[in-house]
Amino acid sequence: MELAGLLNYALFMGIFIGIYALLALGLNIQWGFAGLFNAGIAGFFAVGAYTSAIVTTAAAEGRIGGFDMPLLLGWLAAMVAAGLIAWPIGKICLRFRSDYLAIATIGVAEIIRLVVKSEPELTNGARGITAIPRPFGDLDYALSQMAYLAIVAVVLLVAYLMVERQFNAPWGRMMRAIRDNELAARAMGKAIERRRLEAFIFGAALMGLGGALFAHFNRSITPEAIDPMVATFLVWIMLILGGSGNNRGAILGTAVVWIIWSMSEIATDQLPSEYAVKAKYIRLFLIGLMLQLVLRFRPDGLLPEPLRGAARSDQDAR
Amino acid sequence: MSALLTMSAVTGGYGDADILQQVSMHVDPREIVVIVGPNGAGKSTAMKAVFGLLTVRGGSIVFDGDDITRWSPDRIVQRGISYVPQVDNIFREMSIHENLEMGAFLKKGDLSAAYDRVYTLFPDLKERRKTLAGTLSGGQRQMVAMGRALMLDPKLLLLDEPTAGLSPKYMEQIFQICRNVRDTGVAILLVEQHAKQALAFADRGYVLASGQNRHEGTGADLLADREVAEMFLGG
Amino acid sequence: MDMLELLNFYIIPGLVLGSIYALGAIGITLIYAILRYSHLAHGDLATLGAFIALALVQAGAPLLVALPATMALTALIAIGIDKGFYAHLRDRPKIITVMSSLGIALMIRAVVQVVWGVDAETYSRGIVRPEVYWGLRIKDRELWTLAFLIAAVVVLQLFLARSKWGKAMRAMSDNPNLALLSGIDNRKVIMLTWIIAGGLCAASGVFLGLNTELKSMMGWGMLLPMFAAAVLGGVGRVEGAVLGGLIVGLAEELSVLVLPGEYKAAMAFAILLFMLLVRPTGLLRGKVL
Repeated sequence: MELAGLLNYALFMGIFIGIYALLALGLNIQWGFAGLFNAGIAGFFAVGAYTSAIVTTAAAEGRIGGFDMPLLLGWLAAMVAAGLIAWPIGKICLRFRSDYLAIATIGVAEIIRLVVKSEPELTNGARGITAIPRPFGDLDYALSQMAYLAIVAVVLLVAYLMVERQFNAPWGRMMRAIRDNELAARAMGKAIERRRLEAFIFGAALMGLGGALFAHFNRSITPEAIDPMVATFLVWIMLILGGSGNNRGAILGTAVVWIIWSMSEIATDQLPSEYAVKAKYIRLFLIGLMLQLVLRFRPDGLLPEPLRGAARSDQDAR
Repeated sequence: MSALLTMSAVTGGYGDADILQQVSMHVDPREIVVIVGPNGAGKSTAMKAVFGLLTVRGGSIVFDGDDITRWSPDRIVQRGISYVPQVDNIFREMSIHENLEMGAFLKKGDLSAAYDRVYTLFPDLKERRKTLAGTLSGGQRQMVAMGRALMLDPKLLLLDEPTAGLSPKYMEQIFQICRNVRDTGVAILLVEQHAKQALAFADRGYVLASGQNRHEGTGADLLADREVAEMFLGG
Repeated sequence: MDMLELLNFYIIPGLVLGSIYALGAIGITLIYAILRYSHLAHGDLATLGAFIALALVQAGAPLLVALPATMALTALIAIGIDKGFYAHLRDRPKIITVMSSLGIALMIRAVVQVVWGVDAETYSRGIVRPEVYWGLRIKDRELWTLAFLIAAVVVLQLFLARSKWGKAMRAMSDNPNLALLSGIDNRKVIMLTWIIAGGLCAASGVFLGLNTELKSMMGWGMLLPMFAAAVLGGVGRVEGAVLGGLIVGLAEELSVLVLPGEYKAAMAFAILLFMLLVRPTGLLRGKVL
């Protein structure tokens, strides 16, 4: 019993790490690769979750859909929807320093939150969308969890290989070389703007996919499932701690942060309930503090970005 | 005669690269000294070394009896050297008068004598003292920049290409102002792209190339030197 | 709908809300201008200010005393945050500080939630009836809000235009390198910036709490409108931040006439994107980062 419980917990944790690792990879494309500050990760995540839910669930009263489409189509739709939302935002904001993008993405996340709450014909309001199909959901609990973990692992591996390939492509190297040099970026003009836009859209699409995987795993998605600030922030600390610019670092950081995060939750759940509520906020405080410490003392993260030619020498010169 | 400023065998640059190799020069009190040389010779860099904006790895810079080699710019300003950068050398969104006031930021007490001095040197500015500096023409901006630098009553004024982009008429005017400034007791070290005109007007000159001393002498001597002429004055 | 109705139900509340945004936007625009990054913790700093004032009011201080005390305390906290966190990142790309400020926002909010909980609070119980002046229905606290904004802007503008350190702030905003060459001490200018921005930010939180209620998320919700106001007015322009704040506040209140009420908060976002698209320098020609 004890062992089975542990195994189940490990599976659960593995699935969540996989999903968050997708978000961190998406953010790594945007930040680690192109220097774009996305502070609305939770928004793209939510769009992906709801889109896939609407596309794949059975027809329901009182809301659009479900369209009862195959799972893969739902995931594809999740990526497309998240990318489509990223596109105009990127188009407008990428001409400027990333500060504006940060604010705009905070705005996007807020508006997505508003839409989720106030458009019941789309999202079924506060009750959320339930009965989302889960692949291999009919199997025994543990087996089903294992199967889902395998799916998440495959998706993550494919995403990792694709992102890694882009990072090492010639234009990937160029992007990183100019990432930290605003002047050079401006001098390169249009060509760079396009690449940045692509990076922003692809990153957002991966976040949407992460949201879809989350919704299908939970079999439901409700507005409460997504705490915008916390979700966004966790992904940031995962990437920064792991090592932005390094895909393996992003995945490692996700695992480390998620384990600390959920272990601390287990610890604080033991407290009497009046303290448990406060403990949740203390954990948030500590995660914020952790970011400060990493930014200050270990800005390159656990696995620093591999030195790849021009990118570093340029930085050193400044 | 003891020099006001002496650079002895200064080696240094930005970051790791040494742009200056063993550069030596001096400026006497009440003297206009010009640094000329081809592009990339290290002219502006030599001047920035004086003002503490460079990593100096060898040699020394002595000003008025103090070794200022590794001093910070704000300390150097207080000691009596003012610097006018080539670009972005005014506060665009502040009036002419406020630009001067910022120049005297470190000065305590009454500023009226300093204003008088600057406005006497630049009568044009006095009439337009409330005008925003960013709306002025290039020549007038240069005057504001020099005026700002003179507010602290420096003993030495550093000018980085003060005539860059100016019409010949304004160039003459700036040179004339430099002479007037010198006559009030301020030594001037300036970097110039217009070598012929600058050597003709300066008391002495240094020719730098590839970050090293090449020639030195009075303006007239350098102009007469065949090698200097061939090197970069276009014959 | 007649004119009075429009004024009473949309214009006056819009101006009051706009004044609150403006108080925060002034700080955002000053921080942009002098430190050159967007301060994402500004909303939550306002929340903290509102709750500090609550503690003082609950301890028996009249709001008239609590407000200046809160402003002073929040200014000190802002300086502390800068010295403790942002100052160490000053030589790194500015976006790193933006990220740090997002973390600070989370930390400040967590402190508020631990100390004061997540339930809504008010400075005083009971319903306040508006006074009627020539048909205009205005509550006292609304008048106070408007009056405070006007007073704060007049004092700040005089300070920036006339005083030596006010001019130093403008110089640092205008040309930081030249300001340093002129011997202006940038550490003092930065500290001054945080005093002004922190104090006004606290006031904005207090007035939001006074006109609505205090919640741990109240400031986060103001972040977008405050930034929209700063960009709309022109980054670096105090008078622009005020103008921008008032326009954003009015736009939010008037949006109810054409949009469902839930989407009030989307107006700020729409204004922000629109300005970035057509005129990123803002109405009064500010900076563009």
